[in-house]
Amino acid sequence: MVAAGLQVVFGVQKIFNLACGSFYALGAYVGVSAVGWYVGAGGPPALFIVPLALAGLAVGAVGIVVERGLLRFVYDRDETFQLLMTFAIVLMMEDAIRLTWGTAPRSTAGLYLAYGQVQLLGATAPVYNLIVIAASLAIALAIGWLLARTAFGRIIRATADNREMAEALGVDMRRVYAEVFTLGTALGTLGGALVIPTTAAMSEMGIELIVEAFAVVVIGGLGSMRGAFGGALVVGVLRAIAISVYPELEMLLIYLIVIAVLAARPRGLFGGAAA
Amino acid sequence: MTHDHSSRRQFLKLLGAGAGAAAASRLDAPAAGTQASGPVKIGVLTIRAGVAAPVGAAGLRATEWWAERVNNAGGILGRPIQLVVEEESNPKDTVERFRKLVLQDQVEVVLGGISTGVTLALGPVAEDLGTPWLSWDGTTQRGVEETMPNPKWAFKSVDNEVEAIVAGILTPKYFKGIKTVAGIGNDYSYGHDCWESYQAVLRRYVPDVKFVLELFPKLGVTDFTSHIAAIQQSKADLLMCSFWSGDATIIMKQAAAVGLFKTMKGVFTTAGGVHDSLKKEFTPEGLLLGYNTMYFDDPKGSALLKQFVREYKAKYNEYPPYECDHAFFNAESYKVAVEKAAGPAKKWPEKARVVKALEGLEIESLSGKRSWREDHVQMCNFYQGITTHKNAYDFVTIGPLEVVSTKQAMKPAGSKLFEWIAGWKV
Repeated sequence: MVAAGLQVVFGVQKIFNLACGSFYALGAYVGVSAVGWYVGAGGPPALFIVPLALAGLAVGAVGIVVERGLLRFVYDRDETFQLLMTFAIVLMMEDAIRLTWGTAPRSTAGLYLAYGQVQLLGATAPVYNLIVIAASLAIALAIGWLLARTAFGRIIRATADNREMAEALGVDMRRVYAEVFTLGTALGTLGGALVIPTTAAMSEMGIELIVEAFAVVVIGGLGSMRGAFGGALVVGVLRAIAISVYPELEMLLIYLIVIAVLAARPRGLFGGAAA
Repeated sequence: MTHDHSSRRQFLKLLGAGAGAAAASRLDAPAAGTQASGPVKIGVLTIRAGVAAPVGAAGLRATEWWAERVNNAGGILGRPIQLVVEEESNPKDTVERFRKLVLQDQVEVVLGGISTGVTLALGPVAEDLGTPWLSWDGTTQRGVEETMPNPKWAFKSVDNEVEAIVAGILTPKYFKGIKTVAGIGNDYSYGHDCWESYQAVLRRYVPDVKFVLELFPKLGVTDFTSHIAAIQQSKADLLMCSFWSGDATIIMKQAAAVGLFKTMKGVFTTAGGVHDSLKKEFTPEGLLLGYNTMYFDDPKGSALLKQFVREYKAKYNEYPPYECDHAFFNAESYKVAVEKAAGPAKKWPEKARVVKALEGLEIESLSGKRSWREDHVQMCNFYQGITTHKNAYDFVTIGPLEVVSTKQAMKPAGSKLFEWIAGWKV
């Protein structure tokens, strides 16, 4: 999902947004707080995913602030400025998180297991994981529908293909940029919120994720939504295999694939002409 | 004053006091007084960012608690304590801040240092600057072997691998019939050293034990689903894990999600450092869990420990981890050493006399009696035990509690770790 957010933003705005990792971390922390508040207010534990997802989506609004307040000033600058700007956001967000939530890892206690476990193909899997997988698929389909079938999607695709032409045809570029960046941000924050019951929020989790999301995007193809999905699948599955077959290879493997993909298909596995 | 940012007014007041004192000493006794008046400046190095930030916070909180307590009782030899706090980050920058503390702030002593990667670099600097440095949690070991066997100014923490050795001693006692063991630790010196030491010790007690899997994810990973799948596949009887930060909580949670500890025993050498995040919902009973050198819920704990735990909980809404005890011991032992070196005349001692007084010194710390070995390594107890849900908290505690001394579980001065373990009579 974070990779999808990265793709949306890159595809349209041609900004490689390092801050996607911070949005993910922010979503995670806000998710923990929202669930804590919800449980504290006596909400039934079985429905905790509702405030979690809502909080994740709502905090995506920070995207507008970042886009209008900071990013829009660097659109016409060199890519280096844009990278530096998004990296600055990463550092600021990490400190903001530390100030707000402290340095100790935060987690949602035992809610992860609130939905129980099921036996699947001889292995035990927590139901929550299945819900997240289903939710991710639903979001992927929704984004696909949004991009392919709606007027908003057509404008986004047109802008991604040829910004000047779209602008000449009367597309309000400022609005599109703000909307797209917010969408990308919300994908990141929602991803962070949904994953948090399975793990714990740590202030540096954003930076951890950026490298991985970057690899996913490069493998899948910059700016391609199918690429984000395919890339995430490739990285996830291969890592799991590496860990059980030859653990020392785990970290290296991802970069080997990145190198292989860059050498053989520089546009990525799914990167078409549009990227 | 215990804050790192003293206000301008406080600063001016100090400046005034210092100038006044200097003037007074010029009039009265030119040689004796200048250094020994005004507040005692104590430098503190602590980690502020990254996975070890909570560890750094715990050490600093305990140091502040100590300073407040000592100041309320009249300071050290009548001088109030003033803490000057700097950040521990990478070795290069931390060395610069150490120099700044000594040369610019002119502190009497530097306390702190958590990561051995950093303290390895601090040791020689302390020797060079001739200022006592007492390390909370960092050693001057490269891997498991000492690099500074005869320091003059540097005082180091307990050897990093002791908790793995203690766990290795306790494993055969609580988990009889273990034949196969899998291990997971962070991919840096500490993770690897703990695993090597644990294996060496367990082999002494269970000669036919087999180590079937070792995993070393890097520090800061938040998803262990694949690692846990691999651990399940290994079908080991027992999992040894030396995680000490948020990853300990995460792996516990993700292991519970797939029911890992329904079929496997577990040894968590160091996870007691994040003990209050190990909630009962996902942390099973029956695991061996290590709390390093202080167990907040020790039924035999002193009144001092109980008071500290109570006030820490009231102030921070958390239960204190072991780093507090390292920090308290360092600060309190410095105070006792100064008083001892001052002698009956109560004259503020030279730094060299303070370090002499520290050697072999035993004092009452939060966890009980702790001391400095003659070669400047901390001696103390390690607390480990079997997790239980029978308590008033929402997280696990341990019972029965095992207390193992560094006299038993730490290599003696000047010895090589693996030769020493190979020479045990078991």
